[in-house]
Amino acid sequence: MAVTRAHPPFDPELSAALAALPAGLNGQLRLDTIADQRAQIAPMLDVPDDLLRRDGAVEMEERQVPGPAGAPAVSVLILRPAGLAGPVPGIYHIHGGGMILGNNRTGVTDLLDLVEQGVVVVSVEYRLAPEHPHPAPVEDCYAGLVWTAEHAEELSIDPARLLVYGASAGGGLSAATALLARDRGGPELSHQILLCPMLDDRGITASSQELDGEGVWDRNANLTGWTALLGADCGGPDVSPYAAPARAEDLSGLPATFIDVGAVETFRDETIDYAARLARAGVSVELHMWAGAFHGFEGFAPQAAVSRDARAARLGYLRRALGS
Amino acid sequence: MRELLGRLSALDPGAENAVRVIAHFDALVEAHAGLEAFVRAAAVLAACPAGLHHPRRRLHLRVDPDGGRLPPVERLPDWPGQPLDTADGALVWLERPGPARATDAMVLERLAAGVRVVLERTRSRAPRRDPALVELLLDGQADADDRARAADQLGLPAGLPVRAVASIPGDAPLPEPLHRWSTSVGRLTASIAAPGNSADHLLVRAGIGPAVPPVDLPRSWHGALVALRLTGDGSGTHPGARVLRHDDLGGLALLSETLGAAAANVPDVAALTRIAEQLPWALVTLDALAEHASLRRAATALHVHHSTLQERAGQLAQALGFPIDTAAGHNRLYLALVLRRLHHNGDLTAHSDTHHHATERTTGAG
Repeated sequence: MAVTRAHPPFDPELSAALAALPAGLNGQLRLDTIADQRAQIAPMLDVPDDLLRRDGAVEMEERQVPGPAGAPAVSVLILRPAGLAGPVPGIYHIHGGGMILGNNRTGVTDLLDLVEQGVVVVSVEYRLAPEHPHPAPVEDCYAGLVWTAEHAEELSIDPARLLVYGASAGGGLSAATALLARDRGGPELSHQILLCPMLDDRGITASSQELDGEGVWDRNANLTGWTALLGADCGGPDVSPYAAPARAEDLSGLPATFIDVGAVETFRDETIDYAARLARAGVSVELHMWAGAFHGFEGFAPQAAVSRDARAARLGYLRRALGS
Repeated sequence: MRELLGRLSALDPGAENAVRVIAHFDALVEAHAGLEAFVRAAAVLAACPAGLHHPRRRLHLRVDPDGGRLPPVERLPDWPGQPLDTADGALVWLERPGPARATDAMVLERLAAGVRVVLERTRSRAPRRDPALVELLLDGQADADDRARAADQLGLPAGLPVRAVASIPGDAPLPEPLHRWSTSVGRLTASIAAPGNSADHLLVRAGIGPAVPPVDLPRSWHGALVALRLTGDGSGTHPGARVLRHDDLGGLALLSETLGAAAANVPDVAALTRIAEQLPWALVTLDALAEHASLRRAATALHVHHSTLQERAGQLAQALGFPIDTAAGHNRLYLALVLRRLHHNGDLTAHSDTHHHATERTTGAG
């Protein structure tokens, strides 16, 4: 198929982290190995209640909320700072996992510090592909967001400061949910936080072809994830922008956006394109591309200098955005 | 796939595995990671703060196991440490109160090795061209530590002798190896010749100081000035070698150090100047006669016939008032020419001598 292009070099610290990665975490992902991958990953997804509760600083609750019409209920995980008095900002969190892996606890530990400082997090568990192709995942996410907005007062969420937040597939679903919210007349979102988001099934950007067996989430894994979500439609003319937000033609009216990506990852160019198009449509955008960084670098090497900088940039934006 | 992989933290400090430690540091070396990255890796792998102290490079780094920088602190004696192989107390350490872990020694050793690689690599990049650093190096009054650091920053090869070179600016171009480390001092150009660059084949008029360790460059600079004062400009009025090495001067060095304006009072010097006014070829001829052991060799150097030179030599001896074909006369002529050069070059090195020397130039034989 496409010829592999040269990619920018990896950051030295991250390069060493990649060398330490267990083999088989990348391009081995195929449709027929998804079940194996899930089994392999399962113990790593286990986030015990104690970890979330932070010795009582955080109140944790699981709830079943109405799903899309005619679809099953959706499970949300609610995290609140203990002893919360008045309304605070709300983060509607959508987990990552290439559309095929993960649960509503995946990635949520990154937000616990924010919860303790005074934010309510609602993390949705959506139906996964390939068993549940588009539109199931995004409609579950939208349904959970609607419920969150309708129950803002009960959840102590300030409805003027409700944002959507996700990484990787979660970033793509966050962007898609924001599009749905705009086009369906609600709920109102103050911001969208898109972290190395999965936006484009077409695989036409330069960076989407750069990684073949290198880095994290190479072009092969990407094809697997998108095919799981879209089946035979993948890459074709009939794909909805609510599945692949890069295909949306009109990006005006979307919420203020924080968007980040590594310089050496499959999603690099579609992320930059989306950010540029948002800005041209008049949306407030902050874009960070992290030199030498692979997909998910912060999780793999959280102590590396570039990971610390990425975390600080995101927290700095959130502080500015939420006025806290 | 982001959060999933987060749990597989590549730098899991629980993995007490020497092979992983080595592999990780090797990967950092291969990736050309910087000093902070190495110290950070040590902190993360050992799950305690790690530090690096390198006095000569003015480095003091401490990193905590989350990867953040810590402020400098006095090292406590019971922290495990590993010296780097410099003479000035440079070392790396782990801040582990209590019993050392099995992998601590391995982590420290790999950290030290990695730091050495980085310091070597960052040292041998293109040396800074900074005239201010050259000037500092030549200044005998400047602090020795500052001069050592300047030598480092300029990229002077450590532990190898160097020479100072004093030359006349604008006279002819300096070769690039000298130009790289040069500055103006007074009305002269001062440069540093690295080992292996013996400053041969200089076109510019120059004095070359003795070979010294970089910290003694002020002394070599002084020697270069001493040599420069004895040079001629190679013209008819001021013949003589344009490039002189302090190593070759012998007793003339002392003469150059101690004499200055007083040289004018020697009658032979005045006689030389008088003769030069009368006979345009006089000084070049006298210089050749003084420089060469035999008349025949002098004639060859002057491209004149031997008998022509013999005739001219007679003429000059008469004008000088003393024989120049005897050993004593030969020496007297040689000395007169040296003194004349010293007199003429008296102002050349004014304001350039930054090495304070016990015997000042201003006193001379009365």
